[in-house]
Amino acid sequence: MDKKTLIMPFGIPGHNLTQIEREVPADEPPAWPVNAELKEVGKSVKRVDARAKVTGQAKYTSDIQLPGMLYGKMLRSPYPHARIRNIDTRQVERHPGVLAVHILGKDISMAGSKDESADNYPEVKYIGQPIVGVAALNDNTAIEALKLVKIDYEVLPFVVDLEKARMEGAPLVFEAPVEKEASDGGEEIEKGLSLSGNVRGPSRGQPRGDTQKGFAESDIVIERTYVTQVHMHNPLETHGVVVDWKPDGMLIYASTQSTKGVRDEFAQLFGFRKSQVRVITEYMGGGFGAKYGAGNFGVMAGHLSRKSGRPVRLMLDRKEEQLTAGFRPNSVHQLKIGAKKDGKLSAIQQRSYGTAGVGLGAGVGSIAQNMYECPNFATEQYDIFTHFSPGAAWRAPGAVQGAFGLESLIDEIAESLNIDPLKYRDIIDKSEVRKVERQKGAELFGWSKRKKAGSDPGPVKKGMGLAQSSWPRFTHLDSTAEVRLFRDGAVEVRSGVQDLGTGTKTILAQVVAEELGLKTEDITVRIGDTLFPDGPPSGGSVTAGSITPAARNAAYQAKLKLFRQIASKLDTTPDKLMTADGKIYVTGEPSKNISFADALKQMRTEQLTAEASRSDDYGGMSRDDLGSVQFAEVTVDTETGFVKVDRIVAAHSCGRPLNIAQIESQINGGIIHGISYALYESRVIDDQTGQMINVNFDQYKIPYAFEIPDIRTIILEEYPAKSSTDAYGIGEPANIATAVAVTNAIYNAIGVRIFELPVTPAKILDALKRA
Amino acid sequence: MNKFKWFNAQNIEEALERTNATVSDAINRGSADSAIIKSGGIELLDFIKEGIIEPAEIINIKSIPGLEGIAFDRTAGLRIGANTTLADIENNGDIKLQYLALHQAVSKAATPQLRNVSTLGGNIAQRTRCWYFRSIDHPCFRKGGTTCFAQNGENQMHAIMNNGTCCSVHASSVATALLAYGATVEITSRGGQKKDVSIDDFFVNPFTDIRRESVLRRGEIITAVNIPAQGKNVKSWYIKQGERASFDWALADVAVVVELSGKRVRKAAIAMGAASPVPVRSKAAEEFITGKDINATTAAEAGQKAMENATPLAKNGYKVDLFKTIVKRALLESV
Amino acid sequence: MELKVNGKNQSLDVPAHTPLLQALRESLQLTGTKYGCGEGACGACMVLVDGTPTPSCITPVSNVRNREVITIEGISVNGKLHAVQKAFLAEEALQCGYCTPGMIISAVALLNKNPEPTESQIKEAMQRNVCRCCVYPYIVKAIQTASKMK
Repeated sequence: MDKKTLIMPFGIPGHNLTQIEREVPADEPPAWPVNAELKEVGKSVKRVDARAKVTGQAKYTSDIQLPGMLYGKMLRSPYPHARIRNIDTRQVERHPGVLAVHILGKDISMAGSKDESADNYPEVKYIGQPIVGVAALNDNTAIEALKLVKIDYEVLPFVVDLEKARMEGAPLVFEAPVEKEASDGGEEIEKGLSLSGNVRGPSRGQPRGDTQKGFAESDIVIERTYVTQVHMHNPLETHGVVVDWKPDGMLIYASTQSTKGVRDEFAQLFGFRKSQVRVITEYMGGGFGAKYGAGNFGVMAGHLSRKSGRPVRLMLDRKEEQLTAGFRPNSVHQLKIGAKKDGKLSAIQQRSYGTAGVGLGAGVGSIAQNMYECPNFATEQYDIFTHFSPGAAWRAPGAVQGAFGLESLIDEIAESLNIDPLKYRDIIDKSEVRKVERQKGAELFGWSKRKKAGSDPGPVKKGMGLAQSSWPRFTHLDSTAEVRLFRDGAVEVRSGVQDLGTGTKTILAQVVAEELGLKTEDITVRIGDTLFPDGPPSGGSVTAGSITPAARNAAYQAKLKLFRQIASKLDTTPDKLMTADGKIYVTGEPSKNISFADALKQMRTEQLTAEASRSDDYGGMSRDDLGSVQFAEVTVDTETGFVKVDRIVAAHSCGRPLNIAQIESQINGGIIHGISYALYESRVIDDQTGQMINVNFDQYKIPYAFEIPDIRTIILEEYPAKSSTDAYGIGEPANIATAVAVTNAIYNAIGVRIFELPVTPAKILDALKRA
Repeated sequence: MNKFKWFNAQNIEEALERTNATVSDAINRGSADSAIIKSGGIELLDFIKEGIIEPAEIINIKSIPGLEGIAFDRTAGLRIGANTTLADIENNGDIKLQYLALHQAVSKAATPQLRNVSTLGGNIAQRTRCWYFRSIDHPCFRKGGTTCFAQNGENQMHAIMNNGTCCSVHASSVATALLAYGATVEITSRGGQKKDVSIDDFFVNPFTDIRRESVLRRGEIITAVNIPAQGKNVKSWYIKQGERASFDWALADVAVVVELSGKRVRKAAIAMGAASPVPVRSKAAEEFITGKDINATTAAEAGQKAMENATPLAKNGYKVDLFKTIVKRALLESV
Repeated sequence: MELKVNGKNQSLDVPAHTPLLQALRESLQLTGTKYGCGEGACGACMVLVDGTPTPSCITPVSNVRNREVITIEGISVNGKLHAVQKAFLAEEALQCGYCTPGMIISAVALLNKNPEPTESQIKEAMQRNVCRCCVYPYIVKAIQTASKMK
C-alpha cells in the first residue's frame, strides 16, 4: 500500500501543542485540525437516540416479541458443590404448557449437548448453576413447570471463603488446571499457569529490574495489605436473549456489549457459519463489563428454540442476575514500595490474590506496574477458585482494585517524606497529560486549602484527597464501518458496533457529518446488527478509538466516490473538491458549488457505498495511556462513621473529545460507581450455606440520587496523532481513581487510614477506636 | 408471583371470619391452604415473591371503610386507623406539631412511593429484615428451623442486645417512635371484641415465642393505634442512622420523648430500634437523665448508659458506638 | 377486569394476582415500562395509578380494578412531549435509557404534586429510582428544568 505524509496536531492545546509528521496509508483522510476548528466533532451534540428512550419506544431485548415466541426459565442448583446422579424430566415434558426441555451438558457445545444422559451431566460447582431449562407459553408456566423437574444431587463439600479456599485440604473446585478465555472487555488471562489446590498462578506481568536491590537502596520502605470487596454489576436490564433457531441459521436479540462476540459463540456452539447467525442489539440496559458472549442462558435458549421450533426469550430475574451473572472479584493486595529521600521510587513489589468464583480474573491489574517511574518492579497475582459463579470484567477490571492499593500507599509515602501528595506526583509521574490534569484540577478544586490530616476540630471533619489513574490506549482493529449515500438525500453509517448508552451512535453521526460537511442530524446511524460490518466489542474503552476512525475513513472514501461522479459537473477534477456547510465546493472558487443534497440527486446509481476498517496506529504502537486525576472532598462524622462525599473534581483525557456532554456524563457515571465502590456496595456470602444473602436491591446497596456529590469535570484535549479521529474511550478511565481519591480524603479528614473497602460506618468507627 | 385467590373484604367481620392464618402461622405451619389478611401488601407480596409462603387466598382489607383516618384531640390524644397510609401520617399537621418524633420516623420509613401504599398496621406488623430470615435457603429458628445463622455468620446488621437466641432486629422505624410515646395497639378479634395492647406487649421477644414477632393471632387484626396526649412541655426527636443518605434500613435508630420542667427532665422515654429483636427502651438511660438538665455532658452519659448492657456480636460492635452517639444527639436535638 | 390505561378502557383477562407490570407488557404490549428488580426497589416499573406513582412489579392487577393507569406511553399526548420528556432531552438525562421511563413517571408525579421542588425534594422523591449508569446529576437537573418550563 502506498504511503503519504500527514502533518497532524500533536500534544495538548494550551500546553505543548505542536505538529508532527506521520507516515500513513495513502487512502487515509487528511489530518483534522484541533477541535476548535471543527463544526460537529468536539461539540456537545444531542444524543441521536434519546427521543425513543424518553417516550418508551426504544425496544430492549426483553421488549422483543416475535410471533410464536416462548418463554424460557432455568432450574438452578441450590447447592454450591454437587454431583448430579439423576435428572428426571418425564413429568415436565408432559406438561401441556411446556414445549421444550433441555439439560445443559458438561460441554455446552453442540456436540456435547446432543447427549442428555447421566454420563454427560455436568458437575455442579456453584449455587445457581443452571441445569435444566424449559420453554413454555409464558413465564409463570415456565416457573411452575420447573417444579416438576426432579434432580437427584450428591451434595459435596464446598468452599466459598477466600482464605479457606487457599488452605491445604480445602475442597477442590477444579481437579486439573483450567484455561479460560478472557472475556472481550476483560483482562488478558495468562495461559498455562500452575494450579495448586485452588490456587492458580502466579501471573507475573512484566517485571523489571531487581526489587530486592531496589528496596536495599531505598531510604523509606512501606508495606501494606489492602482488601477490596466483591462488587456486583447489577445493570438495570438483566442479562438475556431472544433466540430464533432455524435449520439454516439463527436470529438472536441480545443484551450484549459485543454483537459479534455473541454471533461467533452461537455459530461455534450450534454448528453454523458466522454468516448464518445474526445478532441484533439496538438498545441495551447497561453492561459495565458483564455482558459478553452467549452465556449459559443463551445456549439454553438456543437449544430450547431448536427443540421447540419457535423463538425463545430467556431473561434473568434480579436474583439470578446477582447470583450468576458476574461480579468484580475481591482482592487481598500486599504492596511494598521503596523510595529515596528525594521522593524517587526505587522499588515496587506486589502480591495479590482474590476469587472470581469458578472463573479467572481476580487480579489487581497493571497500574502499579505502569503508572509511575520506578526501575524495579515485580508482581505475583493469584486466582483462588471458590464454589461460586464466575466473575466478570467490571469497568476497569483489576485497575480499580490495584489503584486502591497503589494510590493509598503513594499517599503514605508522600506523607512520610513530608511532601504534599500533589507535588509528589510531579516527582514520580512522567505523564505530561496527568501533569496538566493535576495543575488544572488542583486549581479548580482548591487543593491549596487542604489542611493537615485530622486537624478539623469537632466530631464532623472534612478532608481532601487525590488519586490518579492510567488506562492503556487499547484499540480493536477488527472494526469496520460502512457509509452509504442515497440518491434521495439520506446518508447512513452502518456498523455492527453496539451502543450501551455511552453515545456511540451519536459520535458516529458526528464524525461522518464532520467529514461530509453536514450536520449530525443529517446522518442516520444503523448499528447493533451483525448484518452490518463488524464493530469492536464495547469493552476496554476501545469503542470510540476503534470505530470512529473506521467511520471517518468510510465517509471519506464515500465522499471521494461522490466527487469522482460529480467533478465534471462543476467543471473541475475530484481532487479540487471539498465539503463544508452542506455544500460541495471547488477549492479556491467558492462560488462554484453545489449543495450536498443536489450532488446526491445526481448520483449515477441509487446508492453509493464505501467501507473502511480501523487502520494501524499512526507512528506505531507506543506505551502511553489515558490518564486521569481526581480530587475528592469528604465530610466524615466521626461519631457515626457516616461519610458524605461533598465534591469531586475530575480531570480526564481521551484523545480528541468527540462529544463533550457525553464524556462528562460518562465521567459522572464512573465517579458515582467509584464512590459506591468505596462506601456502599459489597456482596455478602453466608459461609455456612455458600449463599449470597444480599441478593436483592433491598440489601445490596447501590447508590441513589442522594449519594451524588457536586461533580466538576475538566476534559483535556490531547492529540496523540495516532488515527484519523484521534478519539479514545472514557468508560474505564472514569472509574479508576475515584474510590481511592475518596479514601485518601477520608484519611485527610480523620487522620486514620483504612485499608479495606467498602468504608462503611462500622469500619470508620472501628478504625477510630483502634487509633 | 404465585397463584392465589383474591378476596375483597367488605367489613372487618368478614375478613376475620375468612382468615385462618397470620404470616407467622403461614411461615411455620405451611401456607398451602392459608388465607392471609393484606392491607398495603408490600410485605406480604415480598414473602410470596421470595417463595417463603404460598398462600391459597389473600384477603384484602384495604378498602374496608372506617379503618383509616387520623383523629387528634388535645385531651384524648391521637388515634390513627390501621389502614392509614404512611403518606397520610407524614402529611398530617397535627402529628408534625404534637408528635414530632413520630412524624420524623414516618418520613424516614420506606420511600415516598411506598409510603403511599404502606399502612400503619402493616408497618408495625412487618417481620424482620434479617437476610437469613428473608432467604428461602436458610431454615432458621423463626421459620421452624434449628439454628440461627446470624449468630456465627454475617451479623453486621443484627442485634446488640437480647441477642442470645435470635439476633434479628425489628424493621419498623415507626415502632421505635411509638414505643417512646407509649402507644397502644387496638386489636379486634372475631366477634368484634376489641382490646388495647401496649406497644411494649404488642411486640414479642424471641425468648417468649421465636415464631412470632407480634401478639397477633389468626382471627385478629390491628384496627388502630392510639397515642396518649402528651403534656405541654413534651419534646421529642427521632434519628435514623443508615449507611446511605438515600433510603436505607437503620443501622441504628432512636426516638426520645422527654417531659421537661424548665430545662430539667421530669420524665424520659428513650427507645431504640435496630438494637434488639423488638424495639426497647433503655431504663438505665432514662433513669439517668430524669431529674437532670439535658446538655452535652448528660446527653453523652445517657448514651453510655443506654449501651451498658450491650452484648455485641462478632461483626456489629460498631453499633454500640453508633447508639451512644445517636441517643446523645436525639436528646440534644429534642431541646 | 376493567381498567383504564393511557386514556383507553381496557379489559384484562388475567389471574387477579398477576403483577400489573406483566399485564401491561405482555397483555397490552406496552413495553415501555420495564422490569428491574421485581421488589419495588428500583423504579424501572413505575406507572401512575390515579396519579400516584406506583411500582407495578409488586402491584397485583386486582389493585387497579376500575382505576386509571398511565404508563410512559401515555405521558406524551398525541405525539407532543411532556415538559419532563423535553427536559430529559435538553439535559441529556440518560445513557442506556432503561431507567428513563420510570424516572419520567416519578418526575411527572412529583411535579404534579409539587411544581417547584427544591433539589432536596427532588432527590427525596426520586429516592428509589435507580440509574445504574449513574446519570443522577443530569436527571435532577432535568427535573429542575422541567419545573421551570411550565
